[in-house]
Amino acid sequence: METVMNTGDWLLALPILIPVIGGLLVAFVKALDDMRLRRVAVTVTLAATVAAVLAVILRGDSSLTLFNLTPTIPVLLKIDNIGRLYSGFISLVFLCVGIYSFEYMRHEKNEKRFYAFYLFTLAALMGLSLCGTIVTLYMFYEAMTLLSLPLVTHTQTKEAVAAGIKYLIYSVIGASLALAGIFFLNRYADTLTFTAGGVLNAEKVAGHEGLLLTVLFLMVLGFSVKAGMFPLHGWLPTAHPVAPAPASAVLSGVITKAGVLGIIRTVYYLAGPDFLRGTWVQQAWLILAIITVFLGSMLAFKEGVFKKRLAYSTVSQVSYVLFGLFTLTEWGMMGALLHIVFHSIIKNTLFMTAGAVIYKTGKTKVSELTGIGKQMPVAMWCYTIVSMGLIGIPPTCGFISKWYLAQGGLSMAYGWNWVGPAVLLISAILTAGYLFSIVIRGFFPGNTVQPADLPKAEPTAVMLVPMLLLAALCLLFGMFPGALTGFVSSIASAVL
Amino acid sequence: MHILLPALVFLPMLGALISYLIGRKSKPGRNAFVCVLLTAECLLAVLGIYQAILGRELTFTWEGFAGLGLHFRLDGFRALYTLVAAFMWMMTGFFSPQYFAHYHNRNRYYFFTLMTLGATAGVFLSDDLYTTFIFFEIMSFTSYTWVAHEETPGAMRAAETYLGIAVVGGMVTLMGLFMLWHKLGSLAFADLQKAGETLDAKELYLPGALVMFGFAAKAGMFPLHIWLPKAHPVAPAPASALLSGVLTKAGIFGVLVTSCNLFLHNGAWGNVVLALGVATMFGGALLAMFSVDLKRTLACSSMSQIGFILVGVGMQCLLGHHNALAVQGTLLHMVNHSLIKLCLFMAAGAVYMNLHKLDLNDIRGFGRNKIVLHIAFLMGALGISGVPLWNGYISKSLLHESILEYVELLHEQGLSAAWYSATEWIFVITGGMTFSYMLKLYFALFWEKNAARQEEFDGMRKGYLRPLSIFALLGAALILPALGMLPSILMTGIAELGQGFMHGESPAHAVAYFSEENLIGAAKSLVIGAALYLGVIRPFLMEKREGARVYVNRWPAWLDLENIFIRSDFTQKYVCGCITAVSRFLDNLATSKFFYVIVPAIITAVTRCLDELMDSVAVLLSGTVLSKKKTPHLPPVGTRVTYYLGCALNAVARFLNRTVLRRHPLHTDFEYRLDVDKHEAGQTLGMLTRSVSFGLLLMSVGLFITCWYLLK
Repeated sequence: METVMNTGDWLLALPILIPVIGGLLVAFVKALDDMRLRRVAVTVTLAATVAAVLAVILRGDSSLTLFNLTPTIPVLLKIDNIGRLYSGFISLVFLCVGIYSFEYMRHEKNEKRFYAFYLFTLAALMGLSLCGTIVTLYMFYEAMTLLSLPLVTHTQTKEAVAAGIKYLIYSVIGASLALAGIFFLNRYADTLTFTAGGVLNAEKVAGHEGLLLTVLFLMVLGFSVKAGMFPLHGWLPTAHPVAPAPASAVLSGVITKAGVLGIIRTVYYLAGPDFLRGTWVQQAWLILAIITVFLGSMLAFKEGVFKKRLAYSTVSQVSYVLFGLFTLTEWGMMGALLHIVFHSIIKNTLFMTAGAVIYKTGKTKVSELTGIGKQMPVAMWCYTIVSMGLIGIPPTCGFISKWYLAQGGLSMAYGWNWVGPAVLLISAILTAGYLFSIVIRGFFPGNTVQPADLPKAEPTAVMLVPMLLLAALCLLFGMFPGALTGFVSSIASAVL
Repeated sequence: MHILLPALVFLPMLGALISYLIGRKSKPGRNAFVCVLLTAECLLAVLGIYQAILGRELTFTWEGFAGLGLHFRLDGFRALYTLVAAFMWMMTGFFSPQYFAHYHNRNRYYFFTLMTLGATAGVFLSDDLYTTFIFFEIMSFTSYTWVAHEETPGAMRAAETYLGIAVVGGMVTLMGLFMLWHKLGSLAFADLQKAGETLDAKELYLPGALVMFGFAAKAGMFPLHIWLPKAHPVAPAPASALLSGVLTKAGIFGVLVTSCNLFLHNGAWGNVVLALGVATMFGGALLAMFSVDLKRTLACSSMSQIGFILVGVGMQCLLGHHNALAVQGTLLHMVNHSLIKLCLFMAAGAVYMNLHKLDLNDIRGFGRNKIVLHIAFLMGALGISGVPLWNGYISKSLLHESILEYVELLHEQGLSAAWYSATEWIFVITGGMTFSYMLKLYFALFWEKNAARQEEFDGMRKGYLRPLSIFALLGAALILPALGMLPSILMTGIAELGQGFMHGESPAHAVAYFSEENLIGAAKSLVIGAALYLGVIRPFLMEKREGARVYVNRWPAWLDLENIFIRSDFTQKYVCGCITAVSRFLDNLATSKFFYVIVPAIITAVTRCLDELMDSVAVLLSGTVLSKKKTPHLPPVGTRVTYYLGCALNAVARFLNRTVLRRHPLHTDFEYRLDVDKHEAGQTLGMLTRSVSFGLLLMSVGLFITCWYLLK
């Protein structure tokens, strides 16, 4: 049913404008060079963004045309349920990580630059969440890549700059594949505005299915660069660990999801699942996602550097989401949407813990973490809870999303539909292996270690409260997922 | 009364938090709190069983919790096992203050012990597999801390194995749950039974087996038992009692849920469970006979007894509608084994907390003249060996009879029963082995003298047990003969209470526990046991060293399934190594030399070829068709026109210089001059053009403004 939409709703621009203005103030106003004032400014900006997002979420469906590139290609913002989900969790996570970073960034230089680009990145992400056409999405997507680059290269070491370049090259390759796809889509679609169920014009498509499928395959492959899917995941384990912990957290937890958003929009809102179901393209995507799930876990299991281990874990976990999306089933889509939120919560907490360990003890290798649980019990308890979430042990949130993902896998009409769930579980076993080994060493250092060798190193409340909040969310969503599952169910049933 | 069910589950979990907080302030306060809480839990469980005896079935549903919701039900079996669990936790709770007096990290121990109690109650009260699984997973992880508690290298290794098996088992079970739920749309036990009746069993074997995997691993079923003989002994004794007595039964609970609902009366399934049960039963007893460590012997014994229970489960499936004895035997052996292991592990704990040793050669003679310990251990030993008048005899007889019944049933149908007769013999022999290893422990502890420390041991006669510990130990011990001596009241009552859960039919007539047949069966086992003790253990498993007979471990060190299959070099290096290598290769695929060196090199080569394609044509042409043609003369300066004109002018100038202008010759080089002039002219022209266009531009601006002014 078509509803008449308000097309000039400037409220939609607020979540983008607020962080941009905040970022500009932080970057150019001399008065904000004072550390305390800057923190106040950043906090206010982040909180105001959350408030604006809340207002947008509660607003009915509406849109805002910013300008027209050509008479047929508008750049427009639109709020739908995917947008509500994305803008909601992203602004919340950015607020938490932002507050956490006040303490962490003390031992880094160039705080001003960091916060300016942190806020700009948030603005780009808000734009991505709220965009209404694929062209708008592409613009914000490129903006996000460029604005988040200074976060990767923040430390300015040789290693970080090299990682930044790698990040840039991969992203550019990915984005150009996506852009090429947009050109083709424009030819075969009625409109480039996202519409549940797809916009392809059957008459125009007739006879060109093979071409269009190939184009869609490449387009999704392009977006999958950000999501870290094999074979274009190489930048992720390089770029995430070199950034400062708060940046790694949002890179891993949030920015990877921007790639996922591109894929959701392409598959479900442009091409339409019915066009893709049962094709070689779907099978190829599924196989790539399944390979990535296993690959990431296995390499994380073998990785000795704490943050790099978490980065590999992201490779694996984001492909859980992609697997769910590629099943093209309602269950799979619901599982994917849930896992987007849950993985974001969990991975941010994990990186914050890793950051706290580095900040307080300077230890970066897993083998050095013996007794860390005795040194920072609260932080490591957060780590333990979210680890259970990532493995998918009830009653934490990861269990819920895994349940839906596996049901999605099993509802596919392929004879090999059990492979996906089986690999998810093998990966869960590996996840337990690479996350719990730290918990075990941390809390059970062995009877030869004296308590005196393990001085207390608990971080301050500024660091702990965001971690505790997200860890609590991980448990609460696991125990009471009803509201969220109902919400994602409404998204999934609209497109499938 | 609905609130009773969640209270049973969540009260201990809440108590765990409170005990931790109290423990940070006061240790004795915490100990008292834990004892009171456990007693309260036990009383709640008594209330539960009272409801069950009255024939009421309580249910409790928490819709939407963790997605599919929590579903609890309190029927006879569940009430019974909740009570057994609560009772055992209470007794070990009374025993703990003394046992842990010199331990570190006690707060951690109590916190996780209470959490595990809540989770275990959740497992036993669950009414659908989803709920079972949630609490089963919590239980697996919280009980990890028991195994790792001592933090010795051995304990950490055993704990690693424990966790590994728990994680793998949990995930395999989860896969089964995914498939079952996908097929049935429900995991409620009642729906599983319906599915078992209506669906083709072939569709259910795989999901059913996967679901059972994790539970069977926790129960210690062969070949998933590898963690059990290592993990149970390294945990603190009260925790060992709970691991052996209750947590294994939580595993059995899952086995029962699949076998008695999904595969109710399914003979093929029964045969598999029976075979695995026989292997577990015999293997455990064999390991126990060879063991020279007090707690390890008891742990292996647990594995063996779980085998007995699994034999009962298998017989239930085989016997179909005649399953009365098998059901009652299974149920009673579960209860008996829990209570016996409570008593025996606490007795072992009494030894360990005084000596900090468990090797039989170190602890032999400790029990001499220690009357409480002696009574407690003896009751446990007699119970587990199946001596008439003790409780183990009752359940073993029932299990034994159920096998005989099936053999008879097959004979009636004219079918071969050789395999089941063999099973019966293995059953009797294993019973004998049980008796033999208990004799070994009993004589070592209470009759033999310790060559080195006997006087010291005798001096510990007073004060080796505190009053609360004595209460716990004797309380646990004296139940065993009470149950065994009044079977027709207590045992029958328990059996009737619990059989509904396993869909058992009531027996046709009252069971004669002390019939001639049963007594002969028990006697056979005891004779075999005595013979094994005298004929195998004493001559072959002991040897003379320095004048004294000592226990030696004759079990070949290499024969350890875990070391052979999981921790072997082959698995670690080759299997794991191969997978890692493949992963590394795939990881680096996009950034590999292939893409970074070889592909660019190929592309460069191709473009260079294309680049030089025309050159080669030119070279070819110049070498062939155009080879003899002179290249056209290019002017050294300027364009052709200025050059020739300049040449001509130069010639004229030379001529004039020689003739007319001899005095004032012209020195201008016209070739060069003309070129410069042409260049300047060009520049001037360009400037002129630009100026004009600028002027035009200004004019049009002016025009535009004028027009705008006029039209406004």
